[in-house]
Amino acid sequence: MRNLYLFVVKNKDHFVFIIAIFLSSFLLLRNDDPGMEFIRGKSADIVTVISLPITWIKSLLLVNEENQYLREKTLQLSLQVESMLNFAEENRRLQELLDFKRKTNLKIVPTRIVNKGIQPNLVSFTLDVGKNDGVVANQPVLTPEGVIGKTIQVGNRASIVQSITDHNYRLSVRILPSGATGILRWHGDNLCEVSEVQKNVNIQIGDRVVTSGFSDIYPPGLPVGNVSGVYDERGNYQKVVNVSIHSNLNALQNAFVIIDYQNEMD
Amino acid sequence: MKWTKYIIPGIIVYMIQLWLSEFLSLNTIRPDFCVVLILYWSVKDGRFAGTVAGFIIGLLVDLSGAGSFFGLSPMAYSITGYIGGYLKGLYTKLSPLYFTLSWIGILCFQFLIVSLVMYQDLLVKDLALFWFKWIATASYTLGFAGILQVIFPIYRLS
Repeated sequence: MRNLYLFVVKNKDHFVFIIAIFLSSFLLLRNDDPGMEFIRGKSADIVTVISLPITWIKSLLLVNEENQYLREKTLQLSLQVESMLNFAEENRRLQELLDFKRKTNLKIVPTRIVNKGIQPNLVSFTLDVGKNDGVVANQPVLTPEGVIGKTIQVGNRASIVQSITDHNYRLSVRILPSGATGILRWHGDNLCEVSEVQKNVNIQIGDRVVTSGFSDIYPPGLPVGNVSGVYDERGNYQKVVNVSIHSNLNALQNAFVIIDYQNEMD
Repeated sequence: MKWTKYIIPGIIVYMIQLWLSEFLSLNTIRPDFCVVLILYWSVKDGRFAGTVAGFIIGLLVDLSGAGSFFGLSPMAYSITGYIGGYLKGLYTKLSPLYFTLSWIGILCFQFLIVSLVMYQDLLVKDLALFWFKWIATASYTLGFAGILQVIFPIYRLS
């Protein structure tokens, strides 16, 4: 027994390393565990408190409080415009065939981005709203320019958002006016890539890209960006579409969480 | 082991990372001061201290807002701390060039592990972009580590 103890003490470096790798692997494999979600939600609350001084300084610098109301208004108007453009396009096609009526109501919570993670890459944000404000996991987060992510972990007063710049983030989108759908993922800078778009669809540079509505998370018609390039893949029945997103993700201070929406089609 | 000598610098570097990394970001890439601290600690105090510190700081980093792959930072930092510990006391045995290349290699390896997990789909779809991501994240932090060498060279610890 003593020999075993001496052996462990002598090789403690290696044992500690093995334990650290084992624990890390355990955490990596248990990302969706409810217990882990609780801990991460609580830690998001704490990080929000720690980040308060720098958030306060940034708020002073940018006079965010005054802008918040205007930003909210801008978002609402932007969504209304987007919605009206969608109506016009659909109406043009279906006017003679259908008496089409669509009504979309979004319930939005304005929020400040208090922290953008401390990893070497920008993959997540921390917002200063949580369960107390009606936020739960898997709700869309956006700016007036478009979708920037979704909530993944929620504490009482803070939430962690998976950013659109995370390589593992996917978004089902529709390209207007063609109506083509595809899967969007971030590519670099402010550029995203939409894959799985049918090759025979006519897509032009400048076309608008919005959420498709196929997802349970994102309501249809939320702005995402504009087409900035279209490429045919050789030997493939699909084409790749490059999309420019308009939000300057590094400079973001405010965002909005859609905590509820109704979509009625008569 | 005096834990205070770890706790105070650890908290300071964590706060710098939390508060200032956003201001130093280039596009979406930020410097990683925590890994530089872990490298310094491991070169100074060896594998055991490096591994433990790497795991704890990695856990703090991920708890501060990891979008996906929670647990990746403890793993990567533990590996950095463990390998960095092998450089303890080696400066007099290795030539300065090999010693410098060793810690640069350790930092690059750490970022390679992170990139391999985070950008695994790029390995299949866009290999050039994968290399760019790895080199960009590694070289940005290496730049700051290089600046730190002027003020406080790492070989003094070894």
